[in-house]
Amino acid sequence: MFQNYLNVALRNLIKHKLYSAINIIGLAVGLAACILISLYVRDELSFDKFWSNANNIYRLQTTFKIPGREPFVTVMAQGPSKHALKEYFSEDIDKVTRFNNMNTILRYKGGVYSQEMMWTDPETADMFSFDVVEGDIHKALHDNASLAISQSLAKKYFGDEDPLGKVVTVNVHRLQRDYRVAAVFKDLPHNTVLKFDALAMIDEKDFAQEPWEFTQWFSVNNYVYFTLKPGVNIARVNDQLAAFTNKNITMPSAITGGQKRDASSFITYDTLALPDVELHSPRSGMEMKAAGSLTTVIIFSAIAGLILLIACINFMNLATAKSTQRAREVALRKVLGAKRGQLVLQFIGESVFIAAIGLVLGFVLVELALPAFNQFIGKDMVFNYGDPVVLLLLVGLTVTVGVLGGAYPALVLSGFLPARVLKANKSAETSGSMRLRSVLVVVQFSISIALIIATGVVYGQKLYATNMNPGFNKDNLLVIHNVGRTGARDKQEALKQEILRMPNVTSAAFSDDTPGTSDENNTSVKVPGSETDQSILLGVQNVDYDFLKTYQIKLLAGRNYSRDRTMDGVPDGSKAKDGEMLPGTVILNVGALRRLGFGTPKEAIGKQITMGIAGPNGKPAKTLMTVIGVIPEIHFQTLKNMLRPEMYLYRSHSPFDSLTVRFKGNPEALIKRIEGTWKSMITTVPYEYDFVDQNLAEAFDREANTSILLGIFSGLAIIIACLGLYGLASFTAERRTKEIGIRKVMGATVFDVVRLLIWQFSKPVLIANLIAWPVAAYGLMRWLQNFPYRLDSWYLVPCCIAAGLLALLVAWVTVGGNAAKVARANPIKALRYE
Amino acid sequence: MLKLHNLSKVYRTDEVETVALNSVNIEIEHGEFVAIMGPSGCGKSTLLNIVGMLDTPSSGEYWFMDEDVAGYSEAKLGNIRKQNIGFIFQSFNLIDELTVAENIELALLYHNIPASERRDRVAHVMDKVGIAHRAKHMPSQLSGGQQQRVAVARAVVGDQAMILADEPTGNLDSAHGQEVMEMLQSLNEEGTTIVMVTHSPAHADYARRTINLFDGHVVTENLRAAV
Repeated sequence: MFQNYLNVALRNLIKHKLYSAINIIGLAVGLAACILISLYVRDELSFDKFWSNANNIYRLQTTFKIPGREPFVTVMAQGPSKHALKEYFSEDIDKVTRFNNMNTILRYKGGVYSQEMMWTDPETADMFSFDVVEGDIHKALHDNASLAISQSLAKKYFGDEDPLGKVVTVNVHRLQRDYRVAAVFKDLPHNTVLKFDALAMIDEKDFAQEPWEFTQWFSVNNYVYFTLKPGVNIARVNDQLAAFTNKNITMPSAITGGQKRDASSFITYDTLALPDVELHSPRSGMEMKAAGSLTTVIIFSAIAGLILLIACINFMNLATAKSTQRAREVALRKVLGAKRGQLVLQFIGESVFIAAIGLVLGFVLVELALPAFNQFIGKDMVFNYGDPVVLLLLVGLTVTVGVLGGAYPALVLSGFLPARVLKANKSAETSGSMRLRSVLVVVQFSISIALIIATGVVYGQKLYATNMNPGFNKDNLLVIHNVGRTGARDKQEALKQEILRMPNVTSAAFSDDTPGTSDENNTSVKVPGSETDQSILLGVQNVDYDFLKTYQIKLLAGRNYSRDRTMDGVPDGSKAKDGEMLPGTVILNVGALRRLGFGTPKEAIGKQITMGIAGPNGKPAKTLMTVIGVIPEIHFQTLKNMLRPEMYLYRSHSPFDSLTVRFKGNPEALIKRIEGTWKSMITTVPYEYDFVDQNLAEAFDREANTSILLGIFSGLAIIIACLGLYGLASFTAERRTKEIGIRKVMGATVFDVVRLLIWQFSKPVLIANLIAWPVAAYGLMRWLQNFPYRLDSWYLVPCCIAAGLLALLVAWVTVGGNAAKVARANPIKALRYE
Repeated sequence: MLKLHNLSKVYRTDEVETVALNSVNIEIEHGEFVAIMGPSGCGKSTLLNIVGMLDTPSSGEYWFMDEDVAGYSEAKLGNIRKQNIGFIFQSFNLIDELTVAENIELALLYHNIPASERRDRVAHVMDKVGIAHRAKHMPSQLSGGQQQRVAVARAVVGDQAMILADEPTGNLDSAHGQEVMEMLQSLNEEGTTIVMVTHSPAHADYARRTINLFDGHVVTENLRAAV
């Protein structure tokens, strides 16, 4: 019996090569896409679950609520919060540690390298279960001259030599010290939000000159993690965070505008469990490495499900369509004594068999695609066949698909009355199954069209964001970093002059930040004589007098800083006498004018503001600055940030962190040339550069990747849907041969017939558009809300129409080829025998 | 009306060459009613297909209304066909998904005739063949005889000069068969040329001339006085 079933199944597969291929390939591609996306989702969900006490590690996160601005959400906390947490929550919190990433200059055996290192507290060794391969990480983190490094870092600097005991010289800020390697740990796996290759112990004394790193309450530079004492619920901590804030932080009256206000109305904390960081980070770009997002995981899970659904629909459609051709076989089997149950089993068995072939082919596709997929999303996932959960899921999936695809035809066919089928000698297809097929085709195309629209909009948003005019000319700008470091800062002006003399350099300007940064630097100012006497917080950019020229920013009113006017810019507070108000000048952007109530740019010129500066011996001093120029609002920060009111301050007496060079033509020769000059002038600091336009675009890498992945998967969806459509069309054409024959005898031309068939399949696609458009538009409009600068909603209209036309076109091409073939056939054959 | 001269049709498959028609010479005048008879496989249907321009001869001449159409392209043949020839089949060949009226209208659909005129002509022929009360029914709801009447109506609605009938009574009982034959006869009396393939000598008697085919040859031609 089984042998007979298998024979029939195999012969049917071979006889109907087209259907078999469509079924199997469609299902294989669908399953492969589904498996790949499942791997990705599983991986995202696996983040930071491997630490031995993963469930007891939490992070403290700070949000600054600056009046008149969007809240500044961070994933970090202030340096002093460590001690404050220990003290305030002595009953609840067990251990607290900080991570503070610094870009150091590392010297080893005559080489000078730029090296990121993580400063951390000794508690890190107790809280995180590192895989230590050599040395003792506890000892390393309890000694301010020891390092714990990763295996790959050890390989980078020491090759195959034993890294333990090796000594490197590290320089950051004013700290310069020889560090000894005391521990080597295995590289962190990719599924953690932590990212560092070197750990050094925080000794707060080392950074006494840089209070913002570890000792200020108004700077956030530390990722602060803590563990709870046994039996303590995190809710207990969360409930007391406001009180904790008020006890530890006093808001300066400059910010509260002289009123007495609780710190908790300006600074709020929240906690996040370590395993939740990857998918729930409030600010992915501020993590040690870009975190994933729950939305992406949900979107791609949905896409996996939809692709599989499309493949299953193909499976069902083709199975029901084809099955009617087997009505005679069923009728004969019945006449010869087969029971209905046996027939149902035969058909379902056959369809599960085909699904199984699809699954095996799907595995092959996964293996082929996985390396590229891994590389693209920056993971190293493996498909583990031995995993019982995965296997069970896949076998379950295959059986489900098989049963779903086989059940309908099995039940319908086995219900035919054999006498009728045999006598009429024709396929007794019910109108019900035809209607079902049409509905399923509509579903497939709705999904495909919605995916195409989504791809278009995500890509459009990416293009929009990266091509958005930032307010300055972002092209042909080279940024040279490290110019403010010890060893380079004294020579930065000479370096600039050297570079200005090089060919193809049109101008160069110093600034602390360069475009694309998400760093926040704010200062409060006051308008003297204003009624409220309130402080207003303004963003700060430190720039020199060539800044506007180099970035090609036009003044709306007033003048630029001039190197010839010694009084221009922020005065040097160290020369201030007690209580003296030093004069200075300032350039503001339009946003700052609005915040200060200075009217139009022309009206603002000559108005004055006061601002605190560092006075003699670190005592506070004040300056009264006159507005000399107004510029438009420019996107100097990352394009993902909202525009903010800003001052562009010129401090002639302090060095800058970076130098921006505007060049003409190909920059390669210039980069080499500058490197040569750099190396001849500066020996203790490595040469580093990048480009402004690339930095700005980098913030949108995630959107770029998402749009490419969406494109690939929506392409797959529509290919699978079209495979199905092709199968259905050829089936329908076959079923309608007689009708086509009659029409041709009646005088229909090939074109008439092709049009007839194409129209039959255009209807479901057109209906699919009506369903897909509103659904996709609604979803995408919500998605666009995530971006402060986004495409207009009307952009969805051409997107929808284009997607609809594309789907229609693809459907026409799919159906048309087949239809033309059928239409050209000689009608005699169709009409002789029914 | 038409004249076949030394017309042959050879079917070739990979190994076998089958001669379906061998140098056939036939002439049919305007307004004739011709029956073609012969055993299975003698070439009757091939002859009818070629006459109906659904197939092309392998060699020889086919003069239709003073034109040698033997070498014409499919599209050209299609045009001549739809202007001049109506078809009736043994198995009716109605489209199951269309109503009686729509099936009949099909013959006008590809002729650039406005919808209102199509409606009038369809209604007229339905009256003529006595099927008007079934206009909205589907073919599957009709008896065989009624279906063939619909097919006849479809063959004449376009006012074609010639009707080719391929065993029009083959699937009908004798009463219905006779009904259809009478209908064809009255059409012939109104001037339509009719060429009919049949197995039934009784029905062949309705024709004025019978052509007997055997193995691709014309064996005899009998001329009869009108019944």
